[in-house]
This record gives sequence, C-alpha cells and structure tokens, in this order.
Amino acid sequence: MSLNKTLVDMDYLLNEAPREKHFITGAQAMAEAVKRASVDMAIAYPITPQSEVMHLVGDIYAQGHIKEYYRAEEELGTMSAIAGAARAGVRLFTATSGPGLLRGLEAIVSWPGHRVPCVLGILTRVVNAPLSIQPDNIEMAYMLHCGAVMLHAENQQDTFDYTLAAFAITEKVDVYIPVAVATEGFFVTHAKGYVNMMDEKYAYKEVDPYEAPVPAMDNEVPPARIQRDAPVQKSNFMSYLIHSVWQQEIWDSNRRAMKYIYQYLGGPIEVINPDADVFILASGCAAAQAREANRYAEEEGLSVGLIKVKAIRPFPKQEIRDALKNAKSVIIPEHNIIGWLASEVKSSIDNSGIVVDGPRVYGGMTLPVELIMTEIYTALGMETETLQA
Amino acid sequence: MSKIIEVGPVGYMPQSAPSMGVELSPEGQALLYGNIVSEEEAMRDAAKALLTMDNPTIFPGPQVLWDWKDDVAEKSAAILEMASEIPNCKIIPMPDYRPKYPKIDVKAEINPNHPNLTILDNRIKACVFIGVHCHYANLTLRMIRAGTDCYTVAMCAMMGHEEAMASIRDVHASDVLKFRDIIIEVRNELGIEHTPTMPPENPSLPEEDWGSLTPADYGEYRSLIMSRKGEHVADVE
Amino acid sequence: MSLRYMIPASKFKRYLPKDYVELVDYGPFGKKYSEVGVKNMGAYKELVEEHPMCSGCWMAYYIKIIFASLPNPENTVTIGTAGCGRLAISQAAVPFVYGNYGDQNAMASGMTRAFRLRFPDIQKDVITIAGDGGMMDIGFSMTMHAWFRREKFTTIMLDNETYGNTGGQESGMSMEGAVLKMSPKGKNFGKLPAMQLAITAGCVYVVKMSPTNINKASKAIRRAIFAARNLGPTFIHAYTSCNIEYSIPTPDVFADAKEKEKGRFAFEEYMTPEAKELFAQIESKTKREVS
Repeated sequence: MSLNKTLVDMDYLLNEAPREKHFITGAQAMAEAVKRASVDMAIAYPITPQSEVMHLVGDIYAQGHIKEYYRAEEELGTMSAIAGAARAGVRLFTATSGPGLLRGLEAIVSWPGHRVPCVLGILTRVVNAPLSIQPDNIEMAYMLHCGAVMLHAENQQDTFDYTLAAFAITEKVDVYIPVAVATEGFFVTHAKGYVNMMDEKYAYKEVDPYEAPVPAMDNEVPPARIQRDAPVQKSNFMSYLIHSVWQQEIWDSNRRAMKYIYQYLGGPIEVINPDADVFILASGCAAAQAREANRYAEEEGLSVGLIKVKAIRPFPKQEIRDALKNAKSVIIPEHNIIGWLASEVKSSIDNSGIVVDGPRVYGGMTLPVELIMTEIYTALGMETETLQA
Repeated sequence: MSKIIEVGPVGYMPQSAPSMGVELSPEGQALLYGNIVSEEEAMRDAAKALLTMDNPTIFPGPQVLWDWKDDVAEKSAAILEMASEIPNCKIIPMPDYRPKYPKIDVKAEINPNHPNLTILDNRIKACVFIGVHCHYANLTLRMIRAGTDCYTVAMCAMMGHEEAMASIRDVHASDVLKFRDIIIEVRNELGIEHTPTMPPENPSLPEEDWGSLTPADYGEYRSLIMSRKGEHVADVE
Repeated sequence: MSLRYMIPASKFKRYLPKDYVELVDYGPFGKKYSEVGVKNMGAYKELVEEHPMCSGCWMAYYIKIIFASLPNPENTVTIGTAGCGRLAISQAAVPFVYGNYGDQNAMASGMTRAFRLRFPDIQKDVITIAGDGGMMDIGFSMTMHAWFRREKFTTIMLDNETYGNTGGQESGMSMEGAVLKMSPKGKNFGKLPAMQLAITAGCVYVVKMSPTNINKASKAIRRAIFAARNLGPTFIHAYTSCNIEYSIPTPDVFADAKEKEKGRFAFEEYMTPEAKELFAQIESKTKREVS
C-alpha cells in the first residue's frame, strides 16, 4: 500500500496517538475507525440505516486503505463469506441493521463456535413488521445468546473508539470470537457529533493469522488434515461432551474479553455520582438521554447517579452489582419494547426489586429526557405532572 | 494453597475453569491448580506428578509435530530430551483435530474430540500437552478433568490454559529445557534412579487385513452383518 | 515452501501414527499427477481411505475420484455443507470447512479472495463439494451469485436426486413424479436445469456426467480446477446415486450409473473459447498432466 501508514499497537493508537477534533456522523466515525484498523477485507450489503457505513467503507477501499471489498448477494451470503475469509486468516469488517442482522443470524451465531474473529457493526433498526426503517434496538436481544462480544456505543465518539478497540479484542488469542459494535441507527449514524480522532497515517498493526487458538485453514499450518469445525456426528456421550465443552469455551472466551475491555475502554461501565440513591442505567443512545437527565437532575439539585453500560457481552454483572449495592432505585430507559437491558440487570443483582422497568420507546421514537425525569421524580417521591408517552 | 482446579474426575458436566474464576497468568508467571504462581513452583509440582504417577505421557500437538516453522526442530528436540528424563514416559501425539471415524487407535494417538479414550485405555495418570492449538487444548483439558483422574500439564506457546493443573505460558525450547532440568532436580530429590531413555516409538496398529476378516472380528455386532442360517437376502426393500 | 506443514519434524517422525507418516512418504503431496492420480489409485497412499458411508455408495466412490484428481492437494481447501458427502470429505487429508446450511459458495467467495490477498504468488485451490439440496435448494442464491460474481473456484454438485442424509426427502433435483418423503403424491415439477443455470450465470467450464469412467471423471475435475484458477467459476454436476433411498441393490449401483449415463446424465461439456484455449495449452504441454 502506498499510503505510508505508521503501524502501531492498539494501546498506542487509542491512548497515545495525538488526536484532533472532527464534527462527523456516526457512520463516518465507524468508517474512520475501519480506515485505521488495517482491515484486509470488507463485505457489504445494503440496508437502511447501515448502508451509509458500508458506502464509506467502500470509499476507503477505493482509496487503498482496505485491500478487498465487495457487495454480496444478501446478508446470509455476506456473513458466510466473512466466515470463509476468516478461516483464510484475514482481518474483516462488515455491518448490518435490523432485518439484515436477522437474515444473517444463522451464520453470525455460528461465528463464535467456528472461532471467526471479525468486527460486525450493528446499526440498529426495527425488526419488521410492519415495515419500518427507524431506530429501535430490539435486534440486539437476538444477539445476546450467541457468544459474541457486544459493545454498545452511546455516540459518534464511542462508535469510533469501540470499533477500533473491537479489532484488537477480537483477535486476542484467548478471545478470538467476533465483536459486535452496536449503535442506534439514524440517532447516531446519521447525526453529527464531535469525534476526537488520530491522524489517518496511524493504523493498527496487521493481523497475524498464526497468533490464534485455531489453525488458519491456509495450507501453511499443520495439521495437514484440518477440520476446525468438528461436526459431532455420533449420538453418544463423548459427542455430547465435546459439544458442551466447546460451548463453554466460547463463553469462556467471551468472559476473557473483559480484561481487554478494561484495557482499551477503561472498563465495561461508566459511573457518575456513585453515592446516589437513585440511578439511571442505560446503554447506547439511551445513555445519552440518561446523561442529559442526569444533568437536568443536577441542575434541579437532585442527587441522581448514572451508570452507562458499554459492554453488553460480556455483561458486567459484578460491576453493576457493586455499583447498585446501596441503590434504592434504578431507572432503565431503553429503545425497545421488551427491555432486554432491564432483564439483564435484574438477573445480575440481588436487589432486583429496585429496577424500574423503563421508560421504553420503540418503533423509531426518540427518548425525551422528560420521560426519564418523570421516573426520577417518582423514585424520589416527588409530585409530578405525568408526560404521556 | 487452595486448589481451584483439581485432578478429576469432576463428573458428568464439568464446570469450566474460567467460570470458576480462574484467570490466565500474566507473562512470566504460571498457573497451578488455578492459582497464579511462579513458573518454577508450577514446574516443580508438574515434575513431581510426572515422576510419581503412573504412565506419564507427553502429548505433542501439530505445532511441534510438523516442521512448519523454523523453531520446531529445536523445540521438538527439547521435548524429547525432557521425555527421556522421565522414567517410563510415553509419547502419544495429537496429530489432528478432526473427529475420527470409524475409530481411533488409542495406543497411537489422542484426539481432542474424545481424549478420554486414550487417557483411560492407557491408564495415564499424568500428562503434558505441548504444541496443541489453544482452542483444542482447552476442550481436551476440560474433558480429561471431567472424566479421568489424570494430572494435566499445559506447556503453551501463547497464554496458557486455565483448565490444566499446571499451566506454563510462552513456552519456547529453552523453557522446555528448563522444565527438563527441574524434572532431573526433583527426581534426584525423590531419590529416583534413572538413566535417560527415549520413549518407545509409536505403536500404530498394523494395517487391517480386510481379506482375512471374519465375522468374529465384529464381536458383539456380528449379528448385524450376518444373515441368519438359511436366510437368503435377495430383495432390498 | 508450503509442503513443510505436512512434513513431520524429524525428531517426531517415529512417534507419529504410521498413517500420517505414510501420507507424506507415499501420499500424492508434491508429486506429479502421472505418478499418482486416478490411474494409480490403490498404488499410493490416497487422501481418502476410511469413511463411514453406506456400503455401495456411489457418492463415496466419486469423492475418492475427486481427491485423487486434485492437481495440487497440498494447496487445496474443500468446503462443504450438511449432507452425506461431508462424512467422507471430512476424512480426507485436505483441509475441509464445514459451515452452515448451503453456505459453501459464499464461504468459498470469501476464502478465495482472502487467499489471493495473502498469497498473490501461490495458487490455492478452493473447491466446494455439496449435494443437490445444498447447491440447488437451500444454497441456491449463494451458488448462483458466486457464479454471477465470477468467483474463481470450482463447484462440484453431488446429485443423488434426494436429501439422502436427512432420510430421503424430495429435492429440487429429484425427478418429476418421484415419490419421496415430503412428496408423498410424487414430485410435481422436474429437475432444476443446473447445467443451463451455470452456463447462464457465467461459469466458464461446466460438465454434467455420470462418473462411470474414472479417467473421464478425473479429466473433468482437473479441467474445472485449472479453469477456475485463471478464468472464472466452474461447475461439475455429477450423478452420485443414493442406493439406500432409491433402493438400488449394491451390486447394481454401477449398472444404474451406466443407465443414467445413457439418459438424463449423458455426458455434456461446456467451455468458453478461453477455457478451450487454456486446456489446449495445458494438455499439449504436459499431455499427462490433465488426462
């Protein structure tokens, strides 16, 4: 490549390389991260609101930052091709949204078990039907149980940092499962925000396909007869046992990712005002609104804490349990109807009675700060005028 | 030291070591029964196990069995030197990760999809894995801990293994030789006399002679392949 | 030199099972096709030996031909999907990827491109081998689009005209009227025109055959691989009967294949002018290389 990049490790790239402030969209932020990640190959398939990301990644490819790029036939084809290319030992990126994620899900949920390291952008959108292209992160609920590492970005800056960090985390020998970086469609992807970025001459060091817990299937690594993906063809106890320990290994790998989330992202949660009685806990775009509510509350002289959850998988059970051990109430605003984050929190803490289920918006609605404020007033025992959602 | 990871069998459905809170050791250190200790402490315990337990066996994996990288020659030589210092030591390779059908020769190899067949058949009570890719090593180590009473040592070129009783990380040829020296040291402390002996070569079964196969060779399954007396199968349903 | 990955470390040679040592000493890796290949089957260590396929399985026989025909087995990766074939393919001494349902040609697209990035100077052959269900039903879109995109790898369809591995259901390649599971009253449409689809989609070399002649079968496989290296996608549609589901007595399997060769699996070969030129070059240069 004639772009003359300075290849560095992820610690330097994220924490030391000098940065400059830019005003860009979330889609641009994700693509800018890809540009600095020495990605070998990206595979695209359109779906709103993701398309913008892969358009920009296509431009980056045309500029020579990525070696290979193509538009696949549909998402199952995309995700399958990622799995094929990963076995050949290259660094990979793709992104999708809502229905596209579900179409590709058969392949995606097999990535962890097949030890496919790659970064998947999830730019959330309602799952049809009725048809809609609007933001709603219910699709993330479908991803929770496949073993992939999942990060949830609050804004454009997070989208940039998490995507970059994801490339390092996914290739760690003791992790080596895919990392999904999710953020809300439109609210983040199509809105501009300030993003501090290092110069594009800096790029993450290139992938070493042999620094891996499984052999690359490139005819360069023993054993000669590789079959990485043991199809368990027999109905006997040993076959069940290999499958069960294999599944354990995927979740162990997921668990091991936590130390890298500390290393690169400063931990899986961010806590503001840790001594408060009432907390707002949120991830992704809802965390931005929660942050706003936290500021409102502060202006009104109310003591309200904020917990932003950055990592959805591995889920920071212990960290959340510690942060909430003295809390009297925790309000969990979400951009989906089922409240997957609230369920996760409830199953993580001993005092699950403190969880306020909501407020929730979905179908593309924005999350007015007032909805969160109403819950804060209720939690604090204050009289309120209710805002009808 | 409290042992988090103990010699099995831990039973039907093993709990994984990471889920029991075991974390990989940092560089320069090792894991012993799930605890982070110095490399020497782990090596001494492992050496004692290999010297005192029945049928100590080294399981070399593909990364040291094949000459695919420049450091393999040195490392494989070191492994054999180490093996020669352990009385009655055997070498059974893990050459392949595929599940093998129709059967595996348990005297000649170990397979990550059903490692216990080899451990149990050979009554191996202490073993070393070296050169196995980490994913398969973890599966194997956990299944051995689940179903056998074998003491496992992982000598890993990368970050080590939570599942092993003793896990040494970042292993190069020099670390294998260091382990050999510790084996000699512990052996002398235990007063075990031994002259270095190379392990016996691979006892692969002779190729089956299908020409002389008789129904008796099918054992309990013979009834499945033999027609009953007087029965003549002419038609296929 | 990539053969290194299959040469045992000298110190360990005596500790390896003989099977693996023989594979290097007597196997086809790094050898000329004239020394190994289908003509010499039985006289060298083959890539597929033991497998768990049914007695009399014509598919197992054809899979052995595929592996004996590889021009460069030390630099070949095979990709397959659910189905009987993978039971034998996965026992071959060639890396095998077993992915999800019908995804083999999408996987191969990613893999072929990745190999070309990483090894611009080494030819790595990617071959997908799957059944009629995997190629023409569940994997249809991925099969077709890989061809439309002109992905440079070889596709081999093992057509047994049914879903053999799941118990004999109707497939898109079953004959009209065939009474199978899930078509209890007989299939009400005919075989998908796989060969025509492949030609229309841009395959540069397409063969339909019942592989009764091993030399002819091998020649087609090798041509398909050579053409895929340089020119574009190639496709082989081979009849590999299911003697279980179609109740073909084991001794009659060959006769059945012969009979099909006279009928719907009559040998047909399509090639683009470029492919024709390529074969002429290769086959005249080293006459023994291809045949």
